[in-house]
Amino acid sequence: MADSNRVKRIWQQDERTLGIVWTDGRKSLYDVVELRRQCRCAHCIDEVTRELKLDPDSVPESLRPVRIESVGRYALTIQFTDGHKTGIYPFERLREIG
Amino acid sequence: MNFFKKVQDKFSPKRTETEVAPSVAAIPVPPVETASSAEAPKVGALDRVKSLIAVGSGKGGVGKSTVSLNLALALQQQGKKVGLMDADIYGPSQQHMTRAVRPKLLDGDLIEPSDYEGIKLISVAMFSNSGQAQLLRGPMAAQVIRQFLSQVAWGELDYLLIDLPPGTGDIQLTLAQIAPLSGAVLVTTPQEISLIDVRKAVSMFQTLNVPILGVVENMSYFICDSCEKKHYIFQQSGGKKLAAECGAPLLAEIPIDPRVAEASDDGRPMFVQHPSSTVGQAYTQIAEKVLAQEQMHRGSDGALGYFLLEWK
Repeated sequence: MADSNRVKRIWQQDERTLGIVWTDGRKSLYDVVELRRQCRCAHCIDEVTRELKLDPDSVPESLRPVRIESVGRYALTIQFTDGHKTGIYPFERLREIG
Repeated sequence: MNFFKKVQDKFSPKRTETEVAPSVAAIPVPPVETASSAEAPKVGALDRVKSLIAVGSGKGGVGKSTVSLNLALALQQQGKKVGLMDADIYGPSQQHMTRAVRPKLLDGDLIEPSDYEGIKLISVAMFSNSGQAQLLRGPMAAQVIRQFLSQVAWGELDYLLIDLPPGTGDIQLTLAQIAPLSGAVLVTTPQEISLIDVRKAVSMFQTLNVPILGVVENMSYFICDSCEKKHYIFQQSGGKKLAAECGAPLLAEIPIDPRVAEASDDGRPMFVQHPSSTVGQAYTQIAEKVLAQEQMHRGSDGALGYFLLEWK
């Protein structure tokens, strides 16, 4: 059975940290620059070979989100200051990494 | 590209002025409001729709459209305001089963859905000539779905049912990404070959975190009119088995009744023509159980529905 936890509360903790409280009460904090490096969209990772296309070092420490929005009931998406906005972060994966 | 505009231009050269708004804009962007509220607006035209329920199966030909339409009517019978969106772009059935007329284009970007017996209804078939195939690649089909969600004036509804196409592709994913589905009703026939596909839909809904409200087993048996015996034409108890596997209730076992196909082809569904038949009663039972299940799943864990956080 999939992890069906969803977001209960979401906020900006500080300049580069995203906070989430999940429906089971667990609290996770995420470094937003690291989230950009973890992007699994088709621009950042090869859909077939799963090879990383994004060079993590190319993501500047100054990168920030512009907005973070829910995707259906299962994920969120982040638009970054570099214009990148195709990444979808399923809650299940966020709970694994956070 | 705007689907409605395109089909209006393509298929109705003789349209009247009142039917067509002068300019139909691109898909409206969902309204941008403040962060993290369960009551935040969802998608433009859906903001007064209380609950969206997908009717799906993964498998074709099990009766999703028939179940969607009759369930919509049965929910209405329970005093609910109901809409039905035919998301089967390539094989739309709802127009034929109701003969609902082409929706009107309102001023601005919106389309007034068609009406069948008080059910608000939209289907791609209403925009194309009968027999005309929709030759659309995945992204375009997904675009049509976006427009059905964002440009149709659904108004105030308790339930918007979404009649899904078979499969687990672009249309299903688009829906699950932009529409905050509150649940899914699965339709299957009893035999294993059907369950194999439906399990894929179960897995999809679980991945997308959409609660499964229950399983409808369609074409369960046939009662012979001379011997009164139940004949299990497509094997027995597949629906029960699937329901147990996904931890959801079996909503009903609907028998085969030739009047169902007749009613659908007549454009007057079974629940309208024969509400007290065994099939009609099964739909009443499904509606009651769906209402109870949906209540049970609704917001019990305090999860945010739609959220938007602007970074400072």
